[in-house]
Amino acid sequence: MKTIEWQYLIVSYLFLGGLSAGLYFVSALTELFRKDDDSAQEHIARLGALLASWPVMLGCTLLVFDLGHWYRAYKLFLHFRWESPMSIGSWLLMLFIGISLIYAYGWTSRDGREHFFGRLPRRLRFLGILNVDVAPWRRPLAIAGLPVSVGVAIYTGVLLGAVQSRPFWNTNLVAQLFLFSALSSGCALLILVLAMRSRKFEMYQFRSLYLLDVCFLTLEFFIVVPYFIHGELSVEAVRESLKLVLGGPFTMVFWVFLMGLGLVLPWAIEVREVVPLFLTHVQLLPRMGVATPSPAGASVSVVSELSALAPPANKLHFSRGWAVAAALLVLVGGVLVRYIFVFAGQMSAIR
Amino acid sequence: MAMRTKRYALAIDAKKCIDCKACVVACRAENGVPLGKSRNWINEELRGDWPKLMEVFEPEQCHHCEAPACVRVCPTGASYQRADGVVAVNPSECVGCRYCMIACPYDARFFREDLGVVEKCDLCAHRLDRGELPACVETCPSKVRIFGDLNDPTSEIHQILEKRQYRLKKREAGTGPQIYYLL
Repeated sequence: MKTIEWQYLIVSYLFLGGLSAGLYFVSALTELFRKDDDSAQEHIARLGALLASWPVMLGCTLLVFDLGHWYRAYKLFLHFRWESPMSIGSWLLMLFIGISLIYAYGWTSRDGREHFFGRLPRRLRFLGILNVDVAPWRRPLAIAGLPVSVGVAIYTGVLLGAVQSRPFWNTNLVAQLFLFSALSSGCALLILVLAMRSRKFEMYQFRSLYLLDVCFLTLEFFIVVPYFIHGELSVEAVRESLKLVLGGPFTMVFWVFLMGLGLVLPWAIEVREVVPLFLTHVQLLPRMGVATPSPAGASVSVVSELSALAPPANKLHFSRGWAVAAALLVLVGGVLVRYIFVFAGQMSAIR
Repeated sequence: MAMRTKRYALAIDAKKCIDCKACVVACRAENGVPLGKSRNWINEELRGDWPKLMEVFEPEQCHHCEAPACVRVCPTGASYQRADGVVAVNPSECVGCRYCMIACPYDARFFREDLGVVEKCDLCAHRLDRGELPACVETCPSKVRIFGDLNDPTSEIHQILEKRQYRLKKREAGTGPQIYYLL
C-alpha cells in the first residue's frame, strides 16, 4: 500500500534542522577566523550563535508530533542503533542542541545575565550557580560544535539517502545537497536579519556571508548537475524516479521555483553584490588584504575609517533590498529542496 | 549470518490464484486488521492486447527478507527479526516514526492511526508458535501458498523449491526476499 507517510511536518523539520546547523556553522566559522577587533564579524558570530538553537528545537518538536505516539519519543533515547540513521540522528540532535545552547550562552552579556538571574523568584535563586561567563569557551565550543553542526546538516540527507528502496534518494548526492542547502540557509537567514536590523553596520561589512553563500549555492548547483547525470546513467529504477522532476509532477516546482528562483537567482544577486570587490580598485578593508592598502595605512579604528574609505555607491552595490530579496529566495529554496525530495522520494519505487 | 535452525518462508504458485481474496479476509479476521488496511493483498495485472488478454493475479505480503531494510532503519529496535526468520513489530517499542514503511521495498507495512504504531504480516507468529499454519495459508482454497521451513529437507516448500523454478521480486533492493514465486 503506497502512501506518503512523511509530509509537511517532516519537510519543516528537515529545513529547520538544517537552518540551525547552518547558523551554527557560519557563526562558529566566523568566530574562529575573525580578527579580534572586527566588530562586524563579531556581530555575525553573536547573531548566529544566539539564533542557532531555536529552529532545531522547534523542528524537533514538530518531529515529535509527527510520531504515532508523541509521548513515546523518549524511547528513541533508550536505544542506540548505529545501523539506523534515525537513531544516530536523534542522538546527534540532542548533542547539537546542547552544544548550541552553551555556545549561545557564551555570547550573552554579563549585564543580561545579571538582570535575568537577579529577577528570579526566591525559590529559583539556586539557579544563580548557572550565572557563569562561558565567553572564554566560545572558540573551543565553536571547534567542538563545527563537526556536530555538519553532522546535523548532512544527517537529514543521509536519513533519506540510506533507504535503498527509494531510488530518488538512494545516492550520496542527496546528503551533500542537503548539507550545502542547510549551510546556505544559515547564511541567508543571517544576511536577512542583518539587512533588516543592523543599521550600525554597512552591508559590505558582511561580505564574508555573501562569499560563503555564493560558495554554498555554487556547490549546491554542482551537486544537482551530477545528480541528474549520474541518475540518467544509472539503473532503470533511478531513471524512472528522475521522471518525477523531468516531466512529472515536480518538474515545475523543481526547475522554476527551486533551481530558478531558489538557487540561480539569489546566486546571481549575491554574485552581483560581491563582484565589485574583486573587479574594481576598491579600498575597503586594509587589514583583510582584500584590496589595495589603505592610504591611511593599516588602521585599527576599523569602523570609523571604513566609512571614510567606503567606496562610492556606484562601485559597490550591497543594497539592503537586494540582500533581503536574495536571502528570502535562498530560504524558500531551502524549504523547496526538502519538500521536493521528501515527497518525490516517497513516490519513487523499485518496480 | 549464523545458519538458522529454522527458516520460515512462503512459496506462491500464483497461477493457481483465482483472486477470491479469502487470504485477505482470513488475515483480517485473525489479526484484527481494520478495514482500509491490509497485511496481504493480491496484485492484478492485465497482460496482452485484445482479444488475446490475460489477467494475472499475484498474492503478496511481507517478504520476510533475510536482510530486512525495515529492521535496519528502525531507531528503537521495535522492528525485529525472529530466529526463524519472521520479521515482526513489537508495538510497545514502536514510536510510530514510519521510517520502516518508507524503507520497505514492497510497501508491505501500514500505519495504524488508531494505535499509533506500524503493523505488518508476521506470518501469524502466534499461530506458528502453536504449531499451526498462517491464516492465509490455511484458508487458501486453491492451495496457492506453500508455507514451511526452508531448512527442513522433508518440508514441502524445501522439496518444491528443489524441483521448480521460481522468481524473487525486487531482488535488486538487496534485502533478500523470502517469498518464492513459482514459475
